Amino acid sequence: MENQTKGAAAMVGGFFRALGSFFSGFGTAVAKGDIFVKLSLLWWGAGYVRRKQYVKAVIMTALEAAVILFTIFFAMDYVPKFGSLGTVRAEKVFNPQTMKSEFNDYDHSFMILLFSLFSFVVWFAAIIVLMKNTMNVYKLQLMDESGEHINTFKEDLVTYIGEKFHITLLTLPVLGVVVFTLVPILLLIFVAFTNYDQQHMPPSELFTWVGFTNFITLFGGGGLTATFGYSFVRVLGWTLVWALFATFTTYIGGILLSIMLNSPKTRLPKCWRTLFVVTIAVPQFVSLLLVRNFFADSGIVNTICKEIGLTGFLHDIGLVSTNNLIPFLSAPGWAHVMIILINIWIGVPYQMLIATGVLMNIPSDQLESAKVDGAKPFQIFVKITMPYMLFVTGPALVTDFVKNINNFNVIYLLTQDVYTTTNQALANSQATEVDLLVTWLFRLTQDYYNYKMASAIGIIVFIICAVFTLIAFNFMIKGDKEGTYQ
Amino acid sequence: MKKKFLSMLLCATMVATMATGCGSDAGDNDGGASDKKTDNASSETVKLTLWGAEDDQNFLKDVVSKFEAKYSDQKFDIQIGVESESSAKDTVLKDIEAAADVYSFASDQLADLVRAGALTNIDEVGEALSKSGKTLDDVKAEHAEGAIDAASVDGKMYAFPTSQGNSYILFYDSSVISEEDAGNWDTLLAAADKSGKKVGMTLNSGWYNASFFYGAGFTTGLNADGTTTMDWNGTSPSGYKGTDVVKSMLQITSDSAFKAIPDGKISDNIKSGDYCAVISGTWDAGVAQETWGDGYAAIKLPTFTVGDDKVQMHPAYGYKLEAVNAYSKNAGWATLLAEFISNEESQAAHFKSGVQIPTNKKALEDPSINENAAVTAILSEAEFGVVQEVGGKYWDPAKTFGEMIAKGTLKAKDDKKIQEALDNLVSGVTAPLS
Repeated sequence: MENQTKGAAAMVGGFFRALGSFFSGFGTAVAKGDIFVKLSLLWWGAGYVRRKQYVKAVIMTALEAAVILFTIFFAMDYVPKFGSLGTVRAEKVFNPQTMKSEFNDYDHSFMILLFSLFSFVVWFAAIIVLMKNTMNVYKLQLMDESGEHINTFKEDLVTYIGEKFHITLLTLPVLGVVVFTLVPILLLIFVAFTNYDQQHMPPSELFTWVGFTNFITLFGGGGLTATFGYSFVRVLGWTLVWALFATFTTYIGGILLSIMLNSPKTRLPKCWRTLFVVTIAVPQFVSLLLVRNFFADSGIVNTICKEIGLTGFLHDIGLVSTNNLIPFLSAPGWAHVMIILINIWIGVPYQMLIATGVLMNIPSDQLESAKVDGAKPFQIFVKITMPYMLFVTGPALVTDFVKNINNFNVIYLLTQDVYTTTNQALANSQATEVDLLVTWLFRLTQDYYNYKMASAIGIIVFIICAVFTLIAFNFMIKGDKEGTYQ
Repeated sequence: MKKKFLSMLLCATMVATMATGCGSDAGDNDGGASDKKTDNASSETVKLTLWGAEDDQNFLKDVVSKFEAKYSDQKFDIQIGVESESSAKDTVLKDIEAAADVYSFASDQLADLVRAGALTNIDEVGEALSKSGKTLDDVKAEHAEGAIDAASVDGKMYAFPTSQGNSYILFYDSSVISEEDAGNWDTLLAAADKSGKKVGMTLNSGWYNASFFYGAGFTTGLNADGTTTMDWNGTSPSGYKGTDVVKSMLQITSDSAFKAIPDGKISDNIKSGDYCAVISGTWDAGVAQETWGDGYAAIKLPTFTVGDDKVQMHPAYGYKLEAVNAYSKNAGWATLLAEFISNEESQAAHFKSGVQIPTNKKALEDPSINENAAVTAILSEAEFGVVQEVGGKYWDPAKTFGEMIAKGTLKAKDDKKIQEALDNLVSGVTAPLS
């Protein structure tokens, strides 16, 4: 733990040091640079012109012009309205002459939010470019003063497939992360602080900033509905229970299965393995919907159970309230257990594949020496196999847990349209006993257009996942453990 | 560390270039938007998109070609897309400006669409109809009673009615149950019990189970802010108590001849052959006819017994409506097209192609309409059917309430529990939208 804390501290420290050196480098460049370096703050190409790097000068000038044009012709339409998210409501008059409706120049809150955010990202990038550019130009000045060779443009380009090849490789992925991950996440976070819902739906209505109101509603002032707090606690509880069981049952099941298949006594191991992997080949939604129909109230399993008298027996011992069907997926308790069981069937093959790979890599000398020392198979499993497995697959286990917290497919496909709650308090919040936070979130937004609360709950789910991941990683991958297996 | 910053520089450069790319694009769009305001050429091609159900695609193609023929001096470019009436609202509200100019939707979505400002107020664009030689008042007078009301909110008309009868009736096997027995739940269940067959109805849906309450005079309604009003936990204007209605329902569900069918499973259940009577809509007429053969019959919903009175169930009664998008670039022509789809000729054609019951008075006079037992039964409900006005918060609590009755969670003797459940229902349904 101590190591880990130190590591984390070092990382944070390193980040701030890098940030500090970046700013001090920029400061030095501005303070000590010649007139052209200083001029570069206004005209990005100035320093390059002085050092005769004309192509770079043209590129930087064009880039600067592009940013300025972007600011004037695009950003200025949206950013000034960012504070209010728009004030002009859509109004129209029908003109019978043209057969068209004439609109006023109305504000679209969502567009203002999205494009302002985009402008901020662009401006942030532009500032970094500006600072970095100034430092570069200053470096050129130093090189010039000390008489070093200054690269031509062609020579610069060559470095991008030579020593700077990593930059060439990483540009596109980083760009992708910014556009497709960073901007949407920022947007989601912003929406949580607005009143964007059915009542305030652009373009006809405007929405605006409401501060922390949504979070206060979520946890304090009664919630979305009178029973929101009640439902939130129950849904969260089942989410955690589900994630725990779903993760560990499939994990243990996968390991046991792969040990069985790896055992020299098993005949035709490849054939068995293929059979299990085939379940992966069938798309999950197909198999889940089929299973849902099998276990439906009027499904085939119920018919069989009734025929063989199982339903009657369960009724007699008080597990089932009616004597003509077992509510596999339609009553709380039953549905909870069934969902976890069905998930084992779906999840075990994946874990089996992972475990097979790891098991084959257990140092055989350890296993042999254990056998020589007279360890029984069970002891070997507990003392060698499991610790090794846990060490190698620990991080995967944590990701699995987080994935299960957000396991939309299994829950939604197995219970949607089948499960009806009889708990009025849950129903009044549009929740059911088998909802995960994420399926509840889906229903709240999809059916009720409540984007603001969806964003707020989304942030909470993110925080839960993040906190759990940090704790689990810290706990599982302690620095000292690594030595044990080397 | 320096190399990291170099990479950042490069990335930032790319971002900046891309951003400007996007920026100029958006700028162009804005320019286009301001252009359209000054454009005044009637000779330009009118572009319209039209959404309708998958089954109606051929019908719509015919209608569009007739529309284009009628206004042959105007050039059109009309694209037809697929969008089911039942999910139109969800698609439209994702991006109203990108939705079709004209689309079909079920009347229960009207309030949400109007509140989101997605629909053109037809009264405002009524002048456009002059091209078709009609006035808006002519159009309104063409439709059967109730249809225009179903397309209006606060007295303002927001869509053209195209068909009616999105409701449910009693299908039964007349070889087991006489028409007289089918008129009341008690006699119906007794007759079914005698034959050893079941009577089925969906209870875990607020669309079906409300028919008992509407029958007893209870109401639901919508406030201007989108919240729902509901009086089921009190006493109705007709003098029935909510608890008594629930007790009557429980009396029906506790009968051994009754079976509650989960929402969406009615067709499958009819096919099973266990039933001699089922409550469902016209879409199940074919299945019922196949199952019961010559015995197939359809009739209005039965009455149920509250205290000593026999009370007629009042079903939720829906219409299909043709909308004009509020943000249509050609609102006038879109209105003309929507009206054309709802006119007498189109409705008659729609009845022939898809058994959509007309709202147009003249189209309703067609003798072939009375030959269809299910359609006749539905039309006999038009006078007491209720256009169900509820908001989004209605469905889950109402579904759970129905499930509680179906599963016997409530007991007929426990008045206090029933009242409590009704109070919970009302508080959930009438909750603010937050």
